[in-house]
Amino acid sequence: MVKSPLISMHAGTFAYSQENPVFEDIGFSVCPGEVLCILGPNGCGKTTLLDTLLGYHRLQGGEILVEGKNADRMTARERAMKIAYVPQNHEKTFPYTVNQVVQMGRAPHLPFHTGPGTDDLRKVEEVIKKMKLSSLKEQEYTRLSGGETQLVLIARALVQESRVLILDEPTSHLDFTNELIILETIVRLVKESHIAVIMASHVPNHAFYFENRRVPVRVALMRNRGFSHIGTPGEVLTQKTMAEVYNVEARIISYACGDDERPLSHVVPLSLKGES
Amino acid sequence: MRIRRLLYPFIFLSPILCILLSLYWGRYPITFAEVTAVLLHRLPFIRTPAVNETHIAVVEIIRLPRALFGALVGGALSISGAAFQGLFRNPLVSSGMLGVSSGAGFGAALAILLFTQKSFLYIFAFTFGFAAVAAAYLIGRIYRTTTSITLVLGGIVVGSIFAALTSFAKFVADPYNQLPTIVFWLMGSLASAQRSQILIAGIPMMIGSAGLMLMRWRINILSMGERESQALGVNLQLSQLLIVFFATLATAGAVSIAGVIGWVGLVVPHMGRMIVGSDNRVLLPVSFSLGASFLILVDSLARSITGGEIPLGVLTALVGGPFFIYLLKQTRARGW
Repeated sequence: MVKSPLISMHAGTFAYSQENPVFEDIGFSVCPGEVLCILGPNGCGKTTLLDTLLGYHRLQGGEILVEGKNADRMTARERAMKIAYVPQNHEKTFPYTVNQVVQMGRAPHLPFHTGPGTDDLRKVEEVIKKMKLSSLKEQEYTRLSGGETQLVLIARALVQESRVLILDEPTSHLDFTNELIILETIVRLVKESHIAVIMASHVPNHAFYFENRRVPVRVALMRNRGFSHIGTPGEVLTQKTMAEVYNVEARIISYACGDDERPLSHVVPLSLKGES
Repeated sequence: MRIRRLLYPFIFLSPILCILLSLYWGRYPITFAEVTAVLLHRLPFIRTPAVNETHIAVVEIIRLPRALFGALVGGALSISGAAFQGLFRNPLVSSGMLGVSSGAGFGAALAILLFTQKSFLYIFAFTFGFAAVAAAYLIGRIYRTTTSITLVLGGIVVGSIFAALTSFAKFVADPYNQLPTIVFWLMGSLASAQRSQILIAGIPMMIGSAGLMLMRWRINILSMGERESQALGVNLQLSQLLIVFFATLATAGAVSIAGVIGWVGLVVPHMGRMIVGSDNRVLLPVSFSLGASFLILVDSLARSITGGEIPLGVLTALVGGPFFIYLLKQTRARGW
């Protein structure tokens, strides 16, 4: 059976100024239970691309379809019911409790003059439990570590009950363990809830991580105003593309692990290109 | 958490207690029993001794309207300040942020220069206060996106323009009659509060405060920043406009009669934060209550310490400052 995509972009073009587009003619689609990993060097336009999906910027050309509907014609609220977002740099201003932050995810489901009711609070409670945040519930989220904050923001996104989840470099400030906790959480969400995930990342191994964990994943390499490659991690992340896109001399290592018939793969950087 | 819950009824009842207290408080020689008699004599089924007409006038015509007006002004300034702090994600912002007080100040000064009737003063102060915010809002929207930083900058620019205009008005004013009137107005006072004006100014203050109360959970979300609140389904422009509108309505209503009263719209919300935390669902009503109580108490002091009245704007800072430091020490700046 062919699954229909939850979110897709067709010939998307965006520019802050006329002469200098950030990206041109980008196309992709993501189905339920699938991850799209957008990789690329810093400043290649990943965040801007995500911004257009979120409606923060408008495409100048092309269109975005969310569950078959043109996103351009959606209100912020309609869009938020279908797409949830986990930001890269969340600036904490006021010391809300974890509970209060997660509750905010109910906003698209409520009229502007009401706060969350008992039904909403029950959903919040469920997500907090599912994300194992119960012990932090009443704590001020300004005092949490980077990893905990990221989990809280993912919980807030889950409470939105949208089927598309967009994450912008969700592990960028995290240590070794917390990075894995976040990735593992995403794996669990995709497998259990069949949501579609679009994740910007600057770590090529994230794509292999999803593949190794048996999550359907595709990689888009973003460079020179567009996707230079898009496909499975094995197809896209090669010695050649690592050299071209990242200017890094790297090897792709694949090996069998346990009784798995499929090998696990990793990118291992060796040196900057031309310096060995 | 539980202790906090116990505090709520006290916080919400405190304005009523303060109003009662202020009825007994003042320089006119009237005893506790006499005030109580005045308070009770309108109630059915209660026998009270014969009540002196002058006493009725002192309590019902002078002290009570003033206390009610003080409650509204303090509440309106504080709730607007709390809302702006959330909207602009900046704890240093106050209710006058977008220039409403500076605009109202100039409007009042202009009315004092041009007219002798007091009613023009209120109308001018209200209108110019509103116009200043509208100008700040339009400046903030020159840049395509709705960044609140440009809005704040717009407020600062408009505020300083009107401050300069007010200085000019003082400069050209007749130094024996008009100048003192302008200076006293700018220092703030509840002395001019009469029943009729309270009704008229009370309407914008109440509508504004009620509007902010409706939007108080949205302010939580807007305080997450623009990209995130948009992703949470908030219509940024509309929400921002509504909050600015309601806060300006409340503040303009307050300053048009009470004059410029600083400090309350900045610091009372912080007192609230220290006591109940940052959730605007609780913080906004708490700020209103605290602001109401605070202003009634300070005004009672202002009219009783000396024979003449001490300007309110002077006392709010003199009384509020030490109290704020005390709270800071007691709560160890919890909430921050």
